[in-house]
Amino acid sequence: MMCCQRMAAVVAAPAAPAESELDRSGTEEDPREAVSEEEGCPQQQAGAPSSASHSRLAKLPLSRIKTLMKADPDVTLASQDSVFIIAKATELFVETIAKDALVYAQQGKRKTLQRKDLDNAIDAIDEFAFLEGTLD
Amino acid sequence: MAERPEDLNLPNAVITRIIKEALPDGVNVSKEARSAISRAASVFVLYATSCANNFAMKGKRKTLNAGDVLSAMEEMEFQRFVPLLKDSLEAYKKGQKGKKEASEQKRKEKDKKTDSEENDKSREEENEEEEERMEEEETKEGEGEEEED
Repeated sequence: MMCCQRMAAVVAAPAAPAESELDRSGTEEDPREAVSEEEGCPQQQAGAPSSASHSRLAKLPLSRIKTLMKADPDVTLASQDSVFIIAKATELFVETIAKDALVYAQQGKRKTLQRKDLDNAIDAIDEFAFLEGTLD
Repeated sequence: MAERPEDLNLPNAVITRIIKEALPDGVNVSKEARSAISRAASVFVLYATSCANNFAMKGKRKTLNAGDVLSAMEEMEFQRFVPLLKDSLEAYKKGQKGKKEASEQKRKEKDKKTDSEENDKSREEENEEEEERMEEEETKEGEGEEEED
């Protein structure tokens, strides 16, 4: 499953025994392990038929996204498609950063994600470098 | 358009939902973490927009398009998002097309009625109506493509 491979690349966490405690369905396969990869297949959640609803609609309100985009003085116009894609990308981003932060919580043997887990993820992961200094 | 701080944030409920769906059951998220993620998401939008806009400007375009955003994702090292985004975009465009066709259909039906009456006069009125039709077409085109304020 592509989701799992992708996460493995990002998270680069050792296959620690801590992860197996989250083993739910007993299948040895990927997506239910540890950092629960359920991006394309949230079968544990109340029903959403996974990839279909995940691809089609944006959860974030496009109007709000557009307002944000317009805050940039250099932006003149944005096509509807572009607003949609940014909304979708932002959703993916939120999922990604939450999962990455979770690794740190797990290392701390906690089940609650805390602010410091986020800070750790931002420090450690290159793609999040743009966030440094912006969250305070 | 006044930009209040609330406007620059994304709705908490949605952010929370996205986070919860991404994490396994039994994992909680502190309020501070949630709020930080929400802010990070806003920063992400701003950063992505700025990157995408650079691509638009390179292409001498004033309108940001989906391709610019995809290029921005690669630039920002989020290339792994790209295939998913492309799929979503396809589905979205189909949905939009359906909507557009539906409203076009309505227009056509409306026009049909008036057309059959004007069949004989069509030439005469062509000149007069030309301006009106042009306006209509412009709105029609403008609807599906860009959003301007």
